[in-house]
Amino acid sequence: MKWDIPLGEEIHPGNLGCQGCGGALAMRLALKALGPDTVAVIPACCWSIIDGAFPVHALKVPVFHTAFETAAVAASGIKAAKDVQGKATTVIAWAGDGGTFDIGIQALSGAAERNEDIIYACYDNEAYMNTGIQRSSSTPSGTWTTTTPDERPESRPKKNIMEIMAAHRIPYAATCTPAYPDDMLRKFRKAKSIKGTRFLHILSVCPPGWKMPSDRAIEVMRLAVQSRVFPLYEVEDGLAYTMSLWPTEPVPPEDYFRVQGRFRPLFEDPARLERIKAFVDQQWEILVRRHRRTHPDEAGIPAGEAAAR
Amino acid sequence: MSDLSHVDRYPEIPVSLLASRGVLRTGEWRNMRPVARERRAPCSDACPAAVPVPRYLHLLAQGRLREAYETFTLRNPFPAITGRVCPHFCEAACNRDPYDGPLSIRALERYLGDAAAGLGLVGPEGETGKSVAVVGSGPAGLAAAYYLRRSGHRVVVYEKREKPGGLLRYGIPEYRLPEAVVDAEVARLGALGIEFRTGVALGPGMSLEALKEAHDAVVVATGAWEGRPMGMEGESLLEAGLEYLEQVARGHHTLPGRRCAVIGGGNTAMDVARVLRRLGGEVTVLYRRTAAEMPAIPEEVAAAARDGVRFEFLSLPRAAAKEAGALRLTVERMRLGEPDASGRARPEPTGETVDLEFDAVFKAVGERADLAPFPDAMRQEPGGWLAVGSDGSTADGAVFVAGDLATGPATVVEAIARGRRAADAVSARLGGGYDLPAWAAEESPDVVAPVEVNHAYFSRRARVEPSEVPPADRVGGILGEETAGIAAADALAEIERCFSCGYCNQCGTCFVFCPDAAITWDDGPVFDYDYCKGCGICSVECPGHVLLFVRERDDG
Repeated sequence: MKWDIPLGEEIHPGNLGCQGCGGALAMRLALKALGPDTVAVIPACCWSIIDGAFPVHALKVPVFHTAFETAAVAASGIKAAKDVQGKATTVIAWAGDGGTFDIGIQALSGAAERNEDIIYACYDNEAYMNTGIQRSSSTPSGTWTTTTPDERPESRPKKNIMEIMAAHRIPYAATCTPAYPDDMLRKFRKAKSIKGTRFLHILSVCPPGWKMPSDRAIEVMRLAVQSRVFPLYEVEDGLAYTMSLWPTEPVPPEDYFRVQGRFRPLFEDPARLERIKAFVDQQWEILVRRHRRTHPDEAGIPAGEAAAR
Repeated sequence: MSDLSHVDRYPEIPVSLLASRGVLRTGEWRNMRPVARERRAPCSDACPAAVPVPRYLHLLAQGRLREAYETFTLRNPFPAITGRVCPHFCEAACNRDPYDGPLSIRALERYLGDAAAGLGLVGPEGETGKSVAVVGSGPAGLAAAYYLRRSGHRVVVYEKREKPGGLLRYGIPEYRLPEAVVDAEVARLGALGIEFRTGVALGPGMSLEALKEAHDAVVVATGAWEGRPMGMEGESLLEAGLEYLEQVARGHHTLPGRRCAVIGGGNTAMDVARVLRRLGGEVTVLYRRTAAEMPAIPEEVAAAARDGVRFEFLSLPRAAAKEAGALRLTVERMRLGEPDASGRARPEPTGETVDLEFDAVFKAVGERADLAPFPDAMRQEPGGWLAVGSDGSTADGAVFVAGDLATGPATVVEAIARGRRAADAVSARLGGGYDLPAWAAEESPDVVAPVEVNHAYFSRRARVEPSEVPPADRVGGILGEETAGIAAADALAEIERCFSCGYCNQCGTCFVFCPDAAITWDDGPVFDYDYCKGCGICSVECPGHVLLFVRERDDG
């Protein structure tokens, strides 16, 4: 085994995720880092289904199913109860982008502002996939969904949830994706070791919703990172930015978009595609600048990044 | 405390206590399934001896030296030899070549051979009671002797010269293949009970008939040593390249003249030129085509140029004459024409000639076998070439041939492969043999294509190149071994570059990426088809594409 990934599972086989589900893989990997002394709080999202219908459930750790808008506050309450019991159990709120970016953001902001001692993980598949692929505020610009059809694709850019969370000055926020499992496990382990509100933003492929074959699920998440559409980075105390991965070979964002049917409108609107590519570059440059401000003496930045930015 | 008795009236929170395992059999959703199916790597496929490269490299990386050596020697008993002299067809075929350069397979092979110096070859499991003669002890004869002995036969090797080794000892110069390496391999064979009788040649003193009477079968591997006539005027004034190499191998380090010419573009020509250069000669190689058409190993051509050997391309000697103690060579300039049967551009005469003066001129334009000991019944036509099957069988059921005698001048690795095949053919006739591990018994003929490799798991990195031993440090002086072995750390780093095409090197990528926890890990993937939904991720991600994705009903 060339991977430093625990062989033990905190998930049973037989989950109800679709073929190639990034959310199912993300949970499996996250729990490998967090271990058995964990409680998961799951609001309405794909994972309400994936875990199985009563009386069956797929996770080996306890799961508390809760209402759409309450993941962060329910997790805070469970953590408080564990504290009263004198237990060090890790409590993780595990929500989709709808339950995080849209419906759950009030509870999340409140918990973050109080610096509740929880991990909040958002597995982000960029739309309400579970109810039939309706757009969310996480849906990127130019995307087809059932509520943003081909003739009127999503017009607004994806909400920058990481900047919102960083603005709360929480101790730890990081992006990750199961296509880079060692990076993802490292971030979950690090999150577990920190006290306070920790936020993990997981790009999580949805083959049916992204309109792509399930066997390319890992590849597409890898392309998201390599094309800089979804950079991997960490933010400590809301201010200290650290890039986790510098893509080694340039991959144009089109390579990431082309694999997915949901981006078909982009290829019929070259002007929009160019605007989106410029946006990707701009977002990347902002992160590189923040990284350099955090690490002024670092020699590890690839020459091209240091010179061009 | 206020009264909390109303809490008891609340309904209990429903709690799921049933694990999905055993209940939600998501494998029923599947119409495709992943199957682990090892296939052939292009390196193994290109190797005349079919050495399973990714398999032995993986064992080597795990520190399982003996298993790596035994895996290798199932196909080629002499990694320390081919690791030094092989033209490495494997590297030309390597799927990594278009990515960032082929794996340094020959250097790794030598690393294995040198690291395994203290290990013995696998011997026979039992005795067949049969006796087999092997005539000739070059690479083909030694390989045949080994696999015959491993198959349980008594083996006697007859060698014309005073020591076994043939071309390995007398034809390949010390700086490429030290005699000590050959001695060590011969000693390993002796330790298995193989008997060597030296100073006896096939001919009037020892006929094929007499050998057939004394043994149950005969494998003849006497090689190709006779210089081919060029048909030029004054040819008798030229020296034979291979004979000169033999003379040097015997310790006669004499330079026949300061200004030397070598005619030919093959490995013998390069060997002769480089030996002459080492002994202080000014050397010019005359070749009738250009550098691109030279049959010699490209590294040897480049090394000859580094040594200071001059090349005169498109030059065909037409006449030689003695003149005031020197040799005057009349050379016709050629030009390249249409490709010939070998696919290389044919040299065509231009009529333009130049006279060049040398002190000695060596012929290295190819050799042929001495067929005198063979009756017409074994030939394709009276006086013609031998009729030989691909397994070395001949018209005489008790006589098999191998090596250059079977193929015409070829490479050491081809001779080894021929030797093994002839030995296996003898066992098919006499009984006996050796057990094949499961992988060798069921090897797939399917070769992994470059596009099947998942490059995401390999970062571009230059290959490890073996270094040159500084001339002053060479063991055995100026003719001593030129190329150094690679260090253990470099070998391990280089093995990491291997794509492991079609061979499961237990990387664990399939296990890591299964969204359904339907793969358990037991030094390799174990699929739980009750839960595998058939998403195909493991198959696409598998770096060397060992996991195929097949239709549920087509899977055999």
